[in-house]
Amino acid sequence: MNWFYFSSPSTFYRLAGWLAPWFFALAAILAVVGLYYGFVVAPTDAQQGEVYRVIFIHVPAAWMSMFLYFVMAAYSAASLTFNTRLGAMMARALAPTGAMFTFVALWTGAFWGRPTWGTYWAWDARMTSELVLLFLYFGFISLSNAFEDPRRGDRAAALLALIGLVNLPIIYFSVHWWNTLHQGSSIKLTGTSMHVAMLTGMLLMVFSFWMYSIATALARVRSIILERERRTRWVRAL
Amino acid sequence: MSGHGFYLWMSYGATALALAIEIATLVARRAKAKRLIEEERDLEAQD
Repeated sequence: MNWFYFSSPSTFYRLAGWLAPWFFALAAILAVVGLYYGFVVAPTDAQQGEVYRVIFIHVPAAWMSMFLYFVMAAYSAASLTFNTRLGAMMARALAPTGAMFTFVALWTGAFWGRPTWGTYWAWDARMTSELVLLFLYFGFISLSNAFEDPRRGDRAAALLALIGLVNLPIIYFSVHWWNTLHQGSSIKLTGTSMHVAMLTGMLLMVFSFWMYSIATALARVRSIILERERRTRWVRAL
Repeated sequence: MSGHGFYLWMSYGATALALAIEIATLVARRAKAKRLIEEERDLEAQD
């Protein structure tokens, strides 16, 4: 299979149009099952009570916020290195969803923190570095739209995305490097301390948010392709 | 909900709202892109 065939906006436009509804459907199914596990099957937490159920969206949103930034930076690197149009378009398509999940992680974290830690917000290393991630997303979106020539915007935003990559290990290791209010990871390569039903619900929601991210990126990149290629023959022929 | 209903509803409600806003902006952006193409076609037809 020649994968370069799909690096052309015209062929990728059709592929994305075919794939996006499937990913939306998968995300919806996984969310329904994940929330069923989260609210019906998973028991109440002995220490935190019912409020721990925020983790079924907080943790998946936080993971997605970092993962989408990494993928966005990878597409940016590809667009800078190989001068690919589609790479830059995909980076642009991922940024709003990444920003949305970063906001959700911060917001739900605040509403989890109030009853468990006694405060909505603290200038703790994990929370502050996650807030910096939100500003990086905002910066990427602003910079990519700040130029009349979209290709110049692509290059400037790609550079920012690559520089901002340094923030990802800071977010991840912040709970180990500094003495933070935020708790450490409950899931490690060596195992987990979570109840199996809690873990199942959370992982189902992680996959749901993942499928949703792919679906929205594909749907958004189709609009970006139409905007950029609107003067081409193949778009006129649609 | 053992007194935690407010925090849960604020979390899940805001997430649902954020997802709804994102999907609405996706739909609006696609409609705008299609409108731009129609305008280009009209301009070309006039020339």
